[in-house]
Amino acid sequence: MIRKIFYAGLATATLMVGVAHATETIVWWDFLSGGDGVRMKSMLDEFNKEHDDKVKIDATTLEWGVPFYTKVQTSAAVGQGPDVMTYHESRMPLGISTGSLSAITPDELAASGIKASDFGPANWKAAEGSDGKQYGVPLDIHSVILYYNKDLLKKAGLLGDDGKPKGLDGVANWDAALAKLTANGVVGLSVPTADNASIWRIFYTLLNQQDGQFLKDGKFLEGDNLDKAATAMAEMQKSVKSGWTPAKTEYPASIAIFTSGKAAMHINGVWEVPTMVDLAKKGKLFDWGAIQIPAIYSHPATWADSHAFAIPNRVGNPVDPAKRKLVLDAVHWFNVHSLEWAGGGHVPAYLPVQEGAEFKALKPNSDYSSLAKTAVFDPVSTLAGVASPVYDAAGNYAMPAMNGELSPADAAKQMRDDLQGQAK
Amino acid sequence: MDRREALSRGLGTMLRSKRSEYVTAAVLMAPFVVIYGVLFAYPTIKMVQLSFTNAPLIGPGKWAGLDNFWRLASDRLFSVAIWNTIYFVILSVIPSTLLALVVALGVNRLKGWMQSVVLAAFFLPYILPVSVVFRIWGWMLDKDFGIAQDAIAPFNNGQHLSIFRTIPLFMPAVALVTIWWLLGFNVLLFIAGLRKISSEIYEAASLDGASRWAQFRRITWPLIWPVTVLVFTIQLILQLKIFDQVYLFAQGGRVDATMVMVQYIFKQAFQMNRGGLASAASLVLFLLIVVLSVLEFQLLRARGAR
Repeated sequence: MIRKIFYAGLATATLMVGVAHATETIVWWDFLSGGDGVRMKSMLDEFNKEHDDKVKIDATTLEWGVPFYTKVQTSAAVGQGPDVMTYHESRMPLGISTGSLSAITPDELAASGIKASDFGPANWKAAEGSDGKQYGVPLDIHSVILYYNKDLLKKAGLLGDDGKPKGLDGVANWDAALAKLTANGVVGLSVPTADNASIWRIFYTLLNQQDGQFLKDGKFLEGDNLDKAATAMAEMQKSVKSGWTPAKTEYPASIAIFTSGKAAMHINGVWEVPTMVDLAKKGKLFDWGAIQIPAIYSHPATWADSHAFAIPNRVGNPVDPAKRKLVLDAVHWFNVHSLEWAGGGHVPAYLPVQEGAEFKALKPNSDYSSLAKTAVFDPVSTLAGVASPVYDAAGNYAMPAMNGELSPADAAKQMRDDLQGQAK
Repeated sequence: MDRREALSRGLGTMLRSKRSEYVTAAVLMAPFVVIYGVLFAYPTIKMVQLSFTNAPLIGPGKWAGLDNFWRLASDRLFSVAIWNTIYFVILSVIPSTLLALVVALGVNRLKGWMQSVVLAAFFLPYILPVSVVFRIWGWMLDKDFGIAQDAIAPFNNGQHLSIFRTIPLFMPAVALVTIWWLLGFNVLLFIAGLRKISSEIYEAASLDGASRWAQFRRITWPLIWPVTVLVFTIQLILQLKIFDQVYLFAQGGRVDATMVMVQYIFKQAFQMNRGGLASAASLVLFLLIVVLSVLEFQLLRARGAR
């Protein structure tokens, strides 16, 4: 009996090895966890099912941030690592400068049907190196948005007939709205005031709404940009000092304050849309909505980043041309199917999907997808981007400014000097 | 004559066995020597070499002389990191050593299963990984939803207080968590030491009418001294290398204000891609640990031998 099972097992194993040989395997690394991870897993399953006998993606999810990018760098340097990986466009300058990324030629892109014209110009260019070569293909645009509680806004007379907030544009209106909403144990706005990344996104949004430039020709916050930075931080500080925004709130807590009805509005990434959708589905959330961050200063502008795909530059063991073709075909497949990815709150980078009827009908995405037109990407520098010194600086200076521990002017100056010092 | 013969024969066997003992010793030691050489000695030499170059994280660099060290000397963040590390050592090492002794004395007086239960209670946190420790305390002390806030609020005008985002509270809080986490191991070492002290000495002392305090002062303290020095040294070296807890609790916050030395090395190497500078900082930390621990060990031992 045991022998029978043994031989049966052996036969199955042989069979499986046989199948594996017939299939081309793409090794894939990503840093997508939480809701994004679940969604990507189901897309990967769909891809594998569709390419049943030819291509199979073998995906591994790794820790987001510095650990991910260090692992990519070290493994590529010794000829190891995946065939394809996700990469934040904002962190590509570091990847390119360390030689961890492999440039993709125009011919290769064309062969797989990937066209620059299918993407927003700023979005496409953010994956371009200073050498003019393309190092990645964007998948999405993700940003911060304003979540709001319709019941509370309505009570304060801040909800229009279309169900969207009204009267939030301009500093005076914005402040007045927050003051009005802060009453009866409810605050106007909850944000993760204890999280540097969230603070960076809000600060960078407010800076760009004033046409401020964070980095220009290698100089951080030069000239009147410094004053604009201080203005942005002063506004953030005012919100906390006036009691409109709770101080030093951790990321998960800031969401809970909003979803429990204790904050009328909440600023966070689009990736939290599924959190709200799921809660609403269970009947555990009030009537909610999400819009692009209002133009608090002269014009709309929102911080944005982009998940992109890149091929590592595996030294001594490069991804062979045939595999690269398969990889780029797969990348294109994910863009063509990015409507599903949009379910995670993201705006698809691929314009045929972004401008298609199906995405336009997708709620709440279509209520805020206009942000893509005025999206501002992180400054192009090895010091900037996800989990970078610039993000750290937001924690070291903008955070204490917002929480009232440092004057906005001092915070802006110290931020500039610190980053300028690190640039040496 | 017989005796002499036996003696010389015995000597021969001994010599022969001595030779084979050398071979055996060499064979048995080889794995360790190889591993020690490959995993410790060689990387250490390489690190020293790297610290004089401008190498990135991966790949070679150019000779840079003492540039990295001058840079460290003028880097405000590095001095912050040194100060924070020393501050943390002061906050954690002495209290955890003394507290462990007190707990061990208490546990040692218990008998039977009661002793096992109490000892287990103190030891349990020690088996937790640091990520779990971080989560437990992070949740308990969360500003908005932590259960410990009910105890904190009365001391803060009824307001909740963010412990890990209030800079003056950060190091003491992390030290407290660290002491809670690692105490069990120190207690174990002290209990082993206490059990080695013969109960006859205490019996004799109490027959002579020595008070409990006198017994502690004249018997326990001097006899437990070597263990105290050991615990202190282990803690000193461990806490000079503090990284995990500070990194986790500071994540996303005012990282620079609470930077410690290993974290500085991590930042330079992995975030800033500066292998040479990170090696130089590692070398400084290495020398600091060597000097401090040797100094401390000699000082305390000398005092004990007095």
